Amino acid sequence: MQPKETTRDGPLRPPETVMRLSRLGAFHQSRLSFMRVLLRRLKAEAWRFDRPVFDIDARGVGRAVYCAHGPRRSYSLVAFAHDLPPEERSDRVIATAWDATFALFDGVPGTDDLDRLARNVPLQEAGRVSERELSLSRANRSVRLWDHVVDSLAVGHQPDADRVDAVGYLMRTTAVYGSGKFGAADREAVADRPECRPPFQVEMLSVWLTRAFVMDLAEHMARMRAPATAVPLDPALRRRFGIGNSTGLGMAPFLMTHPALIHNWIAARETALARMRALPRAGAESVAAFHGILARARRHAADWRSDHPVQVKKLVALRADLDRLAAYLEAEGLTGDHPWDRLWRWAEGALSFEGQEQLVSLMLEPHGALVDDLADTMAADEARGWRIDGAMTVGTLRGIIEDVYAWALGVDWAAPEAQARVWYVSEEKLEPRLGEREAEGLEPYEQPLCPGRDAARLHADLAAFSDSDTTAAVLLRHPEHRHLVRRAQIAAGCPYSEIRDNTIAAGVLPIDLLRAKLSFFGACHFDPRSDRWVRINMFQHAPFPHELADGAADDWTYPPPGDGAA
Amino acid sequence: MSHSLYEVEALARRAARGAGLSWGLAEEAGRSTRWLAAAGLPGPEALADWLSRSEGLPHDLLCPADVGATWTARGGTLCPLIAGAALSDMAAELAARGGVTLGPTGAPLLMLPFVAAAARAGGAALAVEWAGLSAHFGERVSLRATDAGLHAAQATGIRVARRVHPPGGACAVRPGSRGHIPPRAAETLDAFAHRTYAPATPESRLGGAGAGLTDND
Repeated sequence: MQPKETTRDGPLRPPETVMRLSRLGAFHQSRLSFMRVLLRRLKAEAWRFDRPVFDIDARGVGRAVYCAHGPRRSYSLVAFAHDLPPEERSDRVIATAWDATFALFDGVPGTDDLDRLARNVPLQEAGRVSERELSLSRANRSVRLWDHVVDSLAVGHQPDADRVDAVGYLMRTTAVYGSGKFGAADREAVADRPECRPPFQVEMLSVWLTRAFVMDLAEHMARMRAPATAVPLDPALRRRFGIGNSTGLGMAPFLMTHPALIHNWIAARETALARMRALPRAGAESVAAFHGILARARRHAADWRSDHPVQVKKLVALRADLDRLAAYLEAEGLTGDHPWDRLWRWAEGALSFEGQEQLVSLMLEPHGALVDDLADTMAADEARGWRIDGAMTVGTLRGIIEDVYAWALGVDWAAPEAQARVWYVSEEKLEPRLGEREAEGLEPYEQPLCPGRDAARLHADLAAFSDSDTTAAVLLRHPEHRHLVRRAQIAAGCPYSEIRDNTIAAGVLPIDLLRAKLSFFGACHFDPRSDRWVRINMFQHAPFPHELADGAADDWTYPPPGDGAA
Repeated sequence: MSHSLYEVEALARRAARGAGLSWGLAEEAGRSTRWLAAAGLPGPEALADWLSRSEGLPHDLLCPADVGATWTARGGTLCPLIAGAALSDMAAELAARGGVTLGPTGAPLLMLPFVAAAARAGGAALAVEWAGLSAHFGERVSLRATDAGLHAAQATGIRVARRVHPPGGACAVRPGSRGHIPPRAAETLDAFAHRTYAPATPESRLGGAGAGLTDND
């Protein structure tokens, strides 16, 4: 297959290669992930952090405020800690109570704000926040680790490192709602601020501050229980705690409902890969750094645990891939002409998707100066390009469909397995769900999350029009195609906007969609709990706010060198 | 209580879908209502009113029978979302032609955002007029309207045409960052939106989300 797009950075992988579910489901975090973009900025701009409120009693009930002060503005995580009986602890979105609830406040909240938030934030979806709030979220304890850590610290011991590594976090968040949900400020209200311009910076800041709060809370609980004997966590061990997250189908449609944005994410990463492949030589420093990061990635892969059969197989492949990569480096080195391109072409034939996509991330690691600027290209003004160009001729529209959706025109959509699933929204929680078309009577509720099938339907109806007819004329007669026409016109200029796979097939794995999105967040240790629900770890090994000024901001996503944690 | 514009758009989109519009037109309803609410105009009320009166009517009765100089609907009343979307789709043609006249059109306020989009895309300032309302979409948006013109359930002889200058006495319309959905409109739109949600079954409760039932680990 010939690459369709060539930039001054070199040829990009074609969307037919990249935008397959199985490959999206093998993506790894990279320098362009939003957590890393955030911490690099906080460090570069010398943000300051403080904790003006920490008022939590011996039962673990109360409130706390964590502020981040930047050169232009401040943001504050407002945290409420609760005493939750075990029978109410559920990480499903249908839960109604949590161990802790949070809002990210735009500025520094006053007492009135805190009282208002205290009446609403603990209720989550059943409450109401305002345009002063930028996100709303909650977290539950990992019971198996929380009790061990607090018990140990209270009697003056450090917790067992193996038990810490087996879980990796003390609390996991479920939904982190941003962008206007439940009354919060719209993304557009802050999108022009430099610190909010890259995607999901508000949500990532909220999660990073949540991690700091959770660790403080565990130490505080130990101290409240046994003031005479309690000790704080050893700083090195403390860093090995990330913040967990449990994500289900609520997040899955995002990749399909934000086509222009997703194009920009993927295009940034593909451009970064192309820049590496275009490098004529590998400098000694980059080669040494690459060897170092590969060693750490092997430890990361060894630490990565999952019981899910699909992920277990992928992990076996990933570990073998990294062994093969090390052997290649040993034998071939990174010498001669265009060594990164040679490495990449070898990898495409030698490694599984897990290994290939891990390699993309690893190749970027030593080359921050060449790729980090791409983070600025990852936001999208989705309103631009949203209007349908009705003057487009049917000939042109047909050409776009036959290019972007070529794979879908070859599918037999009458076959039951081709349309086995239905995306719908449940009455109970107003969240996206996936059901069986035949069994559950869900078709009347189907959401437009099956572009391939809809493109095939549009293509069939276009047969009745001539090439010189206009798209406007088609849409007057066929309003049912309006959604797909918009997508197709966006995809014409944004080739990575469309997934080139069947999202309603019998064999579709929603965890592939989740993994792609979460990898751009910067998540690690994907641990699917079913085909549609995944646990991850975020900010593991990252510096805490109080450590950022004196340490590295962006050298934490693989376990530190010399750490015997594996 | 104010709403985020995301909330206004999402509710309007779901309500339009629940009332029977295609997903693509429902998306247009969402954008249109958001635009109006951000401008402080009664878009959610207009949408609630129009959906209540048009739900279940087939597209063929609501769309323009012909998109020549005068647009009228076979069923008597044009749908402002269908007609508005067509105006936006035909932006270049509209600019070249100079203008069109619309026959009886329901809740015409809902068309304004589409004309705004057509003016931007066609590169020509456009004006819209019906009894009690004049709007102009040039470098900026300006409006002169009576209460009756703003809340018109129907208007006819609506002129959408190129015009260089805004009407005398018009005020600038500036988008704000929040929207207001009055309780009655919210209730109507919620009821329509509700039709897009699948009732839960025991299978869907267990299988649909795919998560476990406990988080005590």
